[in-house]
Amino acid sequence: MEKGGRSYLGVEIKRPRVAFFELSSCEGCQLQILNNEASLLSFLSLVEIVNFREAMSIRSDDYEIAFVEGSVTRADEEERLKRIRKRAGVLVALGSCACFGGVNQLKNRFNDLEWVKHEVYGDHPVETREVQPLSAFVEVDLSIYGCPVKKEEVEQIVTNLVLGKSVDHPRYPVCMECTAKGNTCLFELGEPCLGPITRAGCDSWCPDNRMGCWGCRGPADEANIIQFREVIRKHNIPEEVMLDRMECFGGFRHILKEMKGKQDKGQME
Amino acid sequence: MLFRVFVKKELETLYEILAVNHVVGPTSRGMAKRGKELFAFDYLYDFQDLRLDFTTTTHSLKPFVLPFQETLSSFIIEDGSWEKHVDLNIYKQHVFFGVHACDINALNKLDKVLSEQAYPDPFYTGKRRNMFIIGIDCHPQPFCFCRSMGTDTVLHGFDMYLTDLGDSYFVEIQSARAWDILQQIPTAEPDEEDHRRFVETVEARNREFSCQVDTSDLTKILDLEFQSPVWEEWGKQCLSCGTCANVCPTCYCYGVSEHVDLDLQGASKIRQLYSCNLIDFAEVAGGHNFRPDSSSRLKYRYYHKHRGFQEAFEESLCVGCGRCGQACLAGITVPDVIASVRGQEEENE
Amino acid sequence: MNKLEFVDVMPSQGKFMRKTDLTSFEYSYQAEITSVYPLTATEKLYQIRIIDTGLRQSFNFQPGQFVMLELPGIGEGPFSISSSPTRHGDIELCIRAVGNLTHFLDRVPRGTVVGISGPFGTGFPVEKMEGSDVLLIAGGLGIVPLRAPLFAVLENRSRYKRIDIIYGARKPSELLFTYQHQMWRQFDINLDIIVDEGDADWTGPVGRITEILEKRIEVSSGNLSRKTFAIVCGPPVMFKFVCNMLIDAGLPMQKIFVSLERRMHCGRGKCCRCNIGATYTCLSGPVFDYWEVMNMKEAI
Repeated sequence: MEKGGRSYLGVEIKRPRVAFFELSSCEGCQLQILNNEASLLSFLSLVEIVNFREAMSIRSDDYEIAFVEGSVTRADEEERLKRIRKRAGVLVALGSCACFGGVNQLKNRFNDLEWVKHEVYGDHPVETREVQPLSAFVEVDLSIYGCPVKKEEVEQIVTNLVLGKSVDHPRYPVCMECTAKGNTCLFELGEPCLGPITRAGCDSWCPDNRMGCWGCRGPADEANIIQFREVIRKHNIPEEVMLDRMECFGGFRHILKEMKGKQDKGQME
Repeated sequence: MLFRVFVKKELETLYEILAVNHVVGPTSRGMAKRGKELFAFDYLYDFQDLRLDFTTTTHSLKPFVLPFQETLSSFIIEDGSWEKHVDLNIYKQHVFFGVHACDINALNKLDKVLSEQAYPDPFYTGKRRNMFIIGIDCHPQPFCFCRSMGTDTVLHGFDMYLTDLGDSYFVEIQSARAWDILQQIPTAEPDEEDHRRFVETVEARNREFSCQVDTSDLTKILDLEFQSPVWEEWGKQCLSCGTCANVCPTCYCYGVSEHVDLDLQGASKIRQLYSCNLIDFAEVAGGHNFRPDSSSRLKYRYYHKHRGFQEAFEESLCVGCGRCGQACLAGITVPDVIASVRGQEEENE
Repeated sequence: MNKLEFVDVMPSQGKFMRKTDLTSFEYSYQAEITSVYPLTATEKLYQIRIIDTGLRQSFNFQPGQFVMLELPGIGEGPFSISSSPTRHGDIELCIRAVGNLTHFLDRVPRGTVVGISGPFGTGFPVEKMEGSDVLLIAGGLGIVPLRAPLFAVLENRSRYKRIDIIYGARKPSELLFTYQHQMWRQFDINLDIIVDEGDADWTGPVGRITEILEKRIEVSSGNLSRKTFAIVCGPPVMFKFVCNMLIDAGLPMQKIFVSLERRMHCGRGKCCRCNIGATYTCLSGPVFDYWEVMNMKEAI
């Protein structure tokens, strides 16, 4: 395939060498990218993919942008991630696992990880430890949220990266996109939903299908948690239901910690 | 003004006559948790789906004139040069069958900014000029405060307006094309009895209003209370989610974003309706935010609707439909906010 | 037939007319970047020429008005015209690279075609200022919108009396249009420059802009004549101090003009992003007199 040589409005646009990697994950985010047959060729002329285990057998360690899916659950993954960081000019956390730990980090809820290991693997133990997002070990240049990521969004982000445009995630909550569709609010139907506090950008995928939001993109900027708890209470939805959802993808980890801290303090007084 | 009456069973004929166009009307969206029926404006394909007895709709007609996202222009890019293309995205007349006075008034208000000012918006105007509007009298809900806003009746901006007299409809006709269409169904000149029943119906409706907003000297009070601590309190409750703006029939703020196609051979400029309650509404390039906290943003929304617009057009940019208060998960309603700014909370409780 | 007749509001779609009809909304002139001069590390002066000769000559603006500049797919934003109105559609824009659009603009080569729409907004009433003293006060990038009225004044220098420019910047390296400062002085203009912090080569005064203004007011024995106009532009903090000093020195509010900066997405009085209260900066501004500013909440 031809290399580089493209321009946009007179500005030379380089075709960056791109690699995809996965740590602990379902590899569904990478599959999303491959799912896009209609635009795959355009995508390939925009970037040169040099490493993509799910799609091709050639491997190269010479890349400029690394997309890393999944969370870190083993020592060797940590090492691998650090190696990737050294080689990549731009490291992109692809999907909620990479950004926040994702569904994997649910196991962190249990105090005794040895017990967890035994419950899951029985007499065939594997090495596993507390689940962490990429940012716990390396600097992440760019996050692409979602479980899974939205392919159109990934394409737009890659286009912006190649052009040198900034990548701006919506800073407002899912409600904005959901009400714009004319959806009936799920609270009206008695369904819990994290839409009012979760970062938008998903195009209200779940609420469109009458499924309350689980917060896979993490909190919106300055999400109003105090008022949201009030909303939950007013709609007679048990607080545990909300907490369960907030724990699911790990995006609300810091907020939950803060809430728990306040609660403990309250109990002590 | 011309008036006619026709018996109710002719409504279906009227619908079928107009059905060669796109027809949009109120239709049921099922039941909410508390046994309340929900309605929405949508494209109709069957007379049976038309529900002229609707209470209110969660969303207004706005998406049909100001879609949430709209492509303003697209570009073909070739090397250093480019070509711009504009498509107004309207190709057919739309019939809006069953619109309450508040929503017709809302369109009239939007016209003032979007069609009648300098630089009229062709996307909006194109859709507006291709609307055939049939109004219908309403049943005031406990949250409707249109009477306070002077929008409980509508003087213009529709083709015909129906009032339900029980066994017949009383029609006010405001356009020649509406007159022509009514020629195709049997109608009669309203007699003394019809007049009496019309007045009775209107009075019965007026007795149903229960919600009020005191708008006297509101522009001045909003100025005087600009530093009032009540804004802080409302700001704390606001989720900054933009729901109020989305359901509002008159909110028209937007943002524009530019996108390059994946193949770098095309680009588009897209506008997306925005809300002044969203965190980055007033942020400039470089990062300075003129309204960084939720209370100043919420205050701005009230300020724009009830003071600024009033100053510019001698009317408020609120039709009192109460949708924002109904949709707000935090329960922030216009009557409560304005009462608190006026220091009247207790009286309103 | 009952088919209602479709109304095409823009029948001549694609062939744009100009001005305030429906076709003007998405209209933009194709304009070419003819040259680019770096002014400082972050600001460049772009010379942009409307390609069509006829349209270029009929492009008229008032000093203080702005244009929307568009790079397809990259962005669109408002920029104050900082060239002389007599040059019509051969405009100069001074642009600091801060966002997507301006960073990309920083990379495009000479000859690139951009979209220009406008001119939009209000301008400074330079004709009304004839026969008076004019005080131009600029802080930082605030010199950019002041350059157009300055040109208008320079080109008719004899019609104005005393002209002062008080220009403050953070550092000497951030001063704009330094190559023209000598020329301004030759037009009998009192140019006073002050910086927040000097460097090895800096011989001028160090301090705040208000210090110079104080001296200027002293020259008029603490009382600016009724025949004085002031034009003020700079960062938000500067406005209040400077304008209050001018008022204290007896200058009527309607003779103080400011140019405000807000986020804009349309420039055409629609999107609400630039609103102060409910005043559109893009329609009623960016140039306001101080009386109008006092009547707007959160303006400065």
